[in-house]
Amino acid sequence: MSSSIGEKCTKIKQEYDSCFNSWYSERFLKGDASPMCDDLFFKYKDCLLKTLEEKKLDTLLADARKENPFPNTSTSSSSSSSTESGKKE
Amino acid sequence: MVKFYQHTFSFEHAWDNVTYAFWLRYPNPFASHVIGCDVIDRHVDPDTGVLRTTRLIHKQGVMPRWGRHLIKNADAYIVEESEVDPKTQTMVTRTKNLNHVRVMQVEETLTFTVHPENPKWTQVKTEARIVSEMRWGLTGRVENFGITKFMDNSVRARKGMAHILERLRHNAALAGTPVAAAATTGAPLDC
Repeated sequence: MSSSIGEKCTKIKQEYDSCFNSWYSERFLKGDASPMCDDLFFKYKDCLLKTLEEKKLDTLLADARKENPFPNTSTSSSSSSSTESGKKE
Repeated sequence: MVKFYQHTFSFEHAWDNVTYAFWLRYPNPFASHVIGCDVIDRHVDPDTGVLRTTRLIHKQGVMPRWGRHLIKNADAYIVEESEVDPKTQTMVTRTKNLNHVRVMQVEETLTFTVHPENPKWTQVKTEARIVSEMRWGLTGRVENFGITKFMDNSVRARKGMAHILERLRHNAALAGTPVAAAATTGAPLDC
């Protein structure tokens, strides 16, 4: 299994991945999009966000994600920041 | 300067399995430079039913000798945004490098659809844009290196996916289950 960028997150990441793999193949592709792995994802993300801060990857990532990769989709992710919308390069 | 690249190829595997293999594609023997892969964000759009995912991929590469003074640190971070629409059976993924962008920015889009001539196969369209803002007359060299490297990497990425797909098929055959359900029965695989 592949590791997390943060070593200490690898265990929880792999638990989450196993859950997601089952959800994707057994539910999502069969038309059931109801959530199944949220608890594991929140735990994993909590660990990961700390790592990204430590490695100073959080700002790099936020900058890269300001640009909407799917401009045809009207709804956007909750994680995109609105505070910096006035500051465009 | 900007260079464009476009390519279409097929996997002799069903769309469900190919999109599933996409999530499982690291680690594989053709991607030993990938040392980490994380899911940053993931949700299903309640209006469209589309699964949107953002992943961060950590790679460690080797620079050619002439490029070593340009990039001191061979760690590269790639952001990958994807959308899977199970209704239209379309998966679109967009990747770009997060660091070293002044030397070179590579943006790649992959579109996975059911093959128009064979519903049991998957067609993959690759579109890429390679931009270098280097001065000192190095731009052309950097971009030519970039496009060559990019094509090598595309071939390796395809081999990696094919490897995962074969493993899934093998596990499914052993377990007597459909391919997309084999993850829970076969060897552990993941992002």
